[in-house]
Amino acid sequence: MLNTSLAQSVIDHAISLGADFAELFVERSQTNMVSTLSSHVQSVQSGIDFGVGVRLVYGTKVLYGYTNKAEEAELKRIVSELAAKDRRDPRISFTNFDYRRVEDKHAATRILSTDPEVGGKVAFLLATDKAARAASNMISQTRGTCGQVEQKIELFNSEGLHTGDIRNYTRAFLVAIASDGSEQSTGSWNDGGLMGWELVERMNSEAAGKEAARQALVNLSAKPCPSGRMPVVLGNGFGGVIFHEACGHLLETTSVAKKASVFHDKMGEMIANPVVNAVDDGTMIKERGSINIDDEGLDSQRTQLIKDGKLTSFLVDRIGSQQTGFARTGSGRRESYKYAPASRMRNTFIEPGNAELDDMIGSMERGIYASHMGGGSVQPGTGEFNFAVTEGYYVENGKILYPIKAATLISTGPKVLKEISMVGKDFALASGTCGSVSGSIPTTVGQATLKVDDILVGGNA
Amino acid sequence: MALQQNANQILDLVKAAGASGDLIIDQGQSLSLKAREGALEEYKVSSSQILGLRVIKDGKVGTAYSEATDPEALKSLVEQALLNASFAAVDAHESILANAAVLHTDDEVLCPHEDVGIDAQIDFALTMERNLAAKNRVKNVPYNGVQDNMGERHIFSSAGLSAYSKSRMCAAYAYALVEDGDKNAMDGVGQAARLFSELDLTQIVTRTHENCLSLLEGTPVASGHYDVIFDEETQVQLFHTFAMMFSGKSAKDGVNPMREKVGQLVADRRLNIVDKPLNSAGFGYALFDSEGAATQSTPLIVDGNLASLIHNSATASFFDLATTGHATRGPKSTMGVGLHQLEISKGEDLAQDLLGDEYLLLTDLTGLHSGANAISGNFSFGASGYLCQNGERVRAVRGITVAGNFYDMLGKISMIGDQQYWNWERSALMPHIRFADIAISG
Repeated sequence: MLNTSLAQSVIDHAISLGADFAELFVERSQTNMVSTLSSHVQSVQSGIDFGVGVRLVYGTKVLYGYTNKAEEAELKRIVSELAAKDRRDPRISFTNFDYRRVEDKHAATRILSTDPEVGGKVAFLLATDKAARAASNMISQTRGTCGQVEQKIELFNSEGLHTGDIRNYTRAFLVAIASDGSEQSTGSWNDGGLMGWELVERMNSEAAGKEAARQALVNLSAKPCPSGRMPVVLGNGFGGVIFHEACGHLLETTSVAKKASVFHDKMGEMIANPVVNAVDDGTMIKERGSINIDDEGLDSQRTQLIKDGKLTSFLVDRIGSQQTGFARTGSGRRESYKYAPASRMRNTFIEPGNAELDDMIGSMERGIYASHMGGGSVQPGTGEFNFAVTEGYYVENGKILYPIKAATLISTGPKVLKEISMVGKDFALASGTCGSVSGSIPTTVGQATLKVDDILVGGNA
Repeated sequence: MALQQNANQILDLVKAAGASGDLIIDQGQSLSLKAREGALEEYKVSSSQILGLRVIKDGKVGTAYSEATDPEALKSLVEQALLNASFAAVDAHESILANAAVLHTDDEVLCPHEDVGIDAQIDFALTMERNLAAKNRVKNVPYNGVQDNMGERHIFSSAGLSAYSKSRMCAAYAYALVEDGDKNAMDGVGQAARLFSELDLTQIVTRTHENCLSLLEGTPVASGHYDVIFDEETQVQLFHTFAMMFSGKSAKDGVNPMREKVGQLVADRRLNIVDKPLNSAGFGYALFDSEGAATQSTPLIVDGNLASLIHNSATASFFDLATTGHATRGPKSTMGVGLHQLEISKGEDLAQDLLGDEYLLLTDLTGLHSGANAISGNFSFGASGYLCQNGERVRAVRGITVAGNFYDMLGKISMIGDQQYWNWERSALMPHIRFADIAISG
């Protein structure tokens, strides 16, 4: 996308101003979004994102700028503006670019630049709507979306790196709204991956519509949720958001290097119950959080974060490595050229155990079975996190009694990791999007059903 | 100029295809500084431009955007928008307004001239971080920053509209981590102003430190139902989370639970809410909306009755009404509606009454993006703040949740204060409201 001699000239300019490291991140992304409202197409949108991000490093100081103009004069102007306060005699010499071809381990077949397949996406979404409405006459409305992105990136840096990658992301959502005349509730379904529209080949519109409708109808009959501290069994798949929020963000060197994570000085220590084994794996084929290379050009890898309860690794990007001394883990990620990369999660999950769901439910005198979870957030400095239950049930004396309305679960990372007492066998992954310092990036969370012995349930009963 | 030429070229292609359309061009320059341990950690500058096109052909709407501006990209922009329109259902209500006005916002108000050098802004960032880090029990200041953003928007339409607005926002924020033994807490304060010189470094440092030290001692309260007052930040967050209740677009789409309730009692009779875009003291100040329609003060709740929803020309047409000047559209989005500047009228309750007896003052809510359902009104958030007695903070409270149904809560208003306050982003002006019987888990 960017002429090599132009890139070399800009990086030469940065080196001449004394930068310790210089990098250009070039991006051209094509996007397409199809939205339906019940049985008709609400909108079809498409676009092109294009820009160049310029990163200079002086010591531990990061200087970052971006522009939509891939012109030499504009890029050099940004370099000069960024370096204005730090310019000095050159500290490094330039190595010629050595182009490194990246093997695409997640090759997509039905890509946006070839055919957006809008007709097929519309047909899929309308079929999900039909299935949801067929489930009950109380389903009053559905909203569906199919989004596809083809992100083409190219990297140049002052160490001679020149590489690039193409990432295809596709994701489908359905929200069903149920109404009994006085109250409304919602249910949802989604699927997605690091792939093109071949995603449709594994999706089932009938099952998707029925699942969103089922959840909406369950929530319509839900009762107020009890509140207070109690055990909670968290469903598999998106239930893994608990680890993402409670621990994952706290292991990113973005927080660790600033000592703004409660785990910053816990390497090698027991930070979780011994039944907990946790991984961040960027290599899983076609999973939404996977990448061939990270946004700093390093190969993606599988990183064992916690082994038998002991902290074994952080998630480390270039600057994080420089600041903490830990080796990079291929975790430097960013939403787009508008952000400097930061250490971020990829496909993050707790590995399966041996417990049975019935035993987990049966062990609760009074508690919650949170079968489906929504999103959450965390404050890394204190480890305080929250996440939402989107489908849950009240359990008493080992029996599921009735569905409950909206509830938030809160605790702190260090505490909840030690309260995970049982991990099931039914491991599953679920796609999501994570927002943090370097923007919103595709991720996957995952776990088998697991039991937390004590957590605060925020109900309104 | 290139920008005008690009716009003409694009809209000529739209008209030649037998369609009508409007084009948004957003341009921006920004500066962002972050400090760490007395040195600059991040220095970020940007220059951006994006074009967003909406076309309407045979009653069908399509949109497309591009950050690339080469001739091929501009031609593709039009082709993509027209292609997208071909898949859409016919919408009898959405049209390009017959508006050939030439509009311009007031630069004196929205981006007043100021001579400020980069040195002063760097010094502000470094001093803010250094002064806060030097305070008692502060371990570090992991999140802090100074920003200076200038944005320009042009809107051109095939009907002849040419609208231009330009605005500047300077902001500063700092979050500190404090520790005492095995206890820790993190909190922060932000400020926004049109002039960099209006940012108050001392206030950010002092308030952040005070808040952190208070929270350090925080513990949960017993689960139960409490009188609750949300502070000037969290109350605005709460109302904005459920702003869909005023959306004519959501009503048109059939998902706004207030769709059939215009003219009906939906809140306590003392509650009056108005959207006031013409109050230039706030950052929601706007003379026209994304269709170039004039903005106006719009009463939303009057004496507890839902007086109006907010509309763009399409949602207004659907309900056989006139637009209220609330059209919103970004280069990457379709036409929607949005509040400009929410204002809740002052009540009659004096502070001594409003803050009487025991209540919880909530100063932080977490999980707003995931713990709320605007369709049902149900919410459950993490929270922290203070247990208060007769206006005095008895003790700090953290590790609790607040839950309920927002639409039911509007009927559980106990008192409305007689003073109004801006939130730090200056997007809403509200008095404190005391809500009764709110579920707290601790």
